[in-house]
Amino acid sequence: MRKKRWVPWVLVGPALLIIVLTTIYPLLAALYFSFHKYNLRRPPQFAIQIGENGVHIDWSLLSLNNYALAFSDSRFINSLNVTFWFTVISVALSVIIGLFIAVVVQKGGRLHTLTKVLLIFPFAVSPALKGYSWRFMLNENYGIYDLLIDRLIVGPVNLLLSLINALPLVEIPLISESIVWLGDKFWALFMLAMSETWGWAPLIALMFVGALGSIDEQIYEAARIDGANRLQIFFRVTLPLLRSVILIVTMLKTIFSLKMFDQVVTMTGGGPVRATQTINYYIHQIGFVRSLDIGYASAMSYILVVVLTICAALYVSLVLNRE
Amino acid sequence: MTANTIGQNPGKLRQQFLKAIETLALLLIIAFIVLPILWLAITAIKPQEKAYSTTLVFMPTLENFEIIFSDTSVIINEGTDRERGEVGRKMIPNVINSVIVSGATILVAIPLATLAAYAFSRYQFLGNGLLLIWILTTQFIPAIVVAIPFFTLFRTVEVFGKPLLGTQLGLIIVNMSIVLPYAIWMIKGFVDALPGEIEEAAFVDGCNDFQILFFISLPLIRPGVLVASVFAFIMSWNEFLFALIIGRETRTMQVALTTTSGARGVMWEQMAAAGLVVMVPIFFLSMFIRKNVVDGLTMGAVK
Repeated sequence: MRKKRWVPWVLVGPALLIIVLTTIYPLLAALYFSFHKYNLRRPPQFAIQIGENGVHIDWSLLSLNNYALAFSDSRFINSLNVTFWFTVISVALSVIIGLFIAVVVQKGGRLHTLTKVLLIFPFAVSPALKGYSWRFMLNENYGIYDLLIDRLIVGPVNLLLSLINALPLVEIPLISESIVWLGDKFWALFMLAMSETWGWAPLIALMFVGALGSIDEQIYEAARIDGANRLQIFFRVTLPLLRSVILIVTMLKTIFSLKMFDQVVTMTGGGPVRATQTINYYIHQIGFVRSLDIGYASAMSYILVVVLTICAALYVSLVLNRE
Repeated sequence: MTANTIGQNPGKLRQQFLKAIETLALLLIIAFIVLPILWLAITAIKPQEKAYSTTLVFMPTLENFEIIFSDTSVIINEGTDRERGEVGRKMIPNVINSVIVSGATILVAIPLATLAAYAFSRYQFLGNGLLLIWILTTQFIPAIVVAIPFFTLFRTVEVFGKPLLGTQLGLIIVNMSIVLPYAIWMIKGFVDALPGEIEEAAFVDGCNDFQILFFISLPLIRPGVLVASVFAFIMSWNEFLFALIIGRETRTMQVALTTTSGARGVMWEQMAAAGLVVMVPIFFLSMFIRKNVVDGLTMGAVK
């Protein structure tokens, strides 16, 4: 229909130019930095020098030292570890709880509809604020979550345990009511993942609600006639039908989890003892807070880029194969 | 008949039991979602001496908002057991920063994204499919990789005799890297949904490409562009990493939240008040785009 071939380029051009400048430029620059010794405290010496005699490349200034350093740096390895477990826990919890919420709210009913409306709530809360509010609520002295966990979980469990202990058979130690959630290495990471789950599970539920709604009611009907119970229907009918959506959502959440940074700053500050130092947080520390080593920070962030590129490729292929 | 009724009774009980479980599950979900927000709101209106307890018995007060918006330092609770020392958070400039940065970001990004999205939707051109996927993948670049080179660049690049580092302009530029690709994908979805017949008719009537775009298509996709603008605004409003590294002393509200902590730890009642200021506008905006959130978050991958 349209004849003029230049028209789309005029329309796309400005946006494309800005995207290239704000994404390709930093990607190339960070790669370049990563091969250099580059600390903010000293003026950097770059390999490509533009002098009076044209461009000159000083190969001696380029090295893979920063990458070698990364894999011998126990704190970097720690951050990989932390990021891995944060991602595993937060993705698993977000998707499972999201699926649970979706299945529960899917059917009609007033309370169902109200819950569906509320699912959008966490979307309005910025990640930085999410971190602060969770840190506040988990405080061991005046945190509401701390109180609720003690009263609703630890309390009854301990009551049960002391009843068992009353019988002169075994002696089971009671659960301490004074766990400092963010002061414990495991619980701090777990609660960081929980704060992420609080933000994402409701949104993931919204995604699943749409997908559940598009499943033909007749399929369920057929399963019921064949004598399947609710659990069987869920695991044998619903889950397989949601498979592609679950895969896409899981991949997407994995990418978001790998990029997570804000809550670490506002919730745990990487502590206790680096137990919640994710890659992003460690890179920020190295590049901008502690050693100001831009070369090293760039190298580490490139390792993250490689991981995310693989995830992005997986995600894109999942989305394309679905259509 | 009798046999039937007897047979149904246990079934009915089971139904009621399941219904009760379902209601309980719904209430639990609601509590899970609402509690953090509710607690933040409650803390924000608590008087200072009650903020550090789980009590619900207190006189609501706006003093926390007064404190975070006051631009002079005030001493509160001097000499008491919870001595807070000098506070005076001067949040107003931070709110203005947030509004300017987010506002300018969408003012630049949305028109450009709309034109690009229209082209991607309506024209076949060399590599358009690949380009579009490439634009999608830019969203997966970790923000820290974008921040590092722009930090070093903005230290040296000067605009009006001031380095770009720590300015609103610098932050707006870097925000483009996340907002623009996102907006293109969102708006493209809305253009795709628009039937092409009207444009065909306009073409037959002798309109050229740009007349069709500006007088026919743009008015029709305006609601979609508005939704994308709201998304883009929320994105830049909630953005934290760039604001911390590139924005620096030109604090947006997200970074200003961190200033509620001092030598004696976080002043939670102030954090809560500032948190509400950050959250409430976005809350209303997100109600407006409620129906589009799933598409917005997945760029249409989950339908």
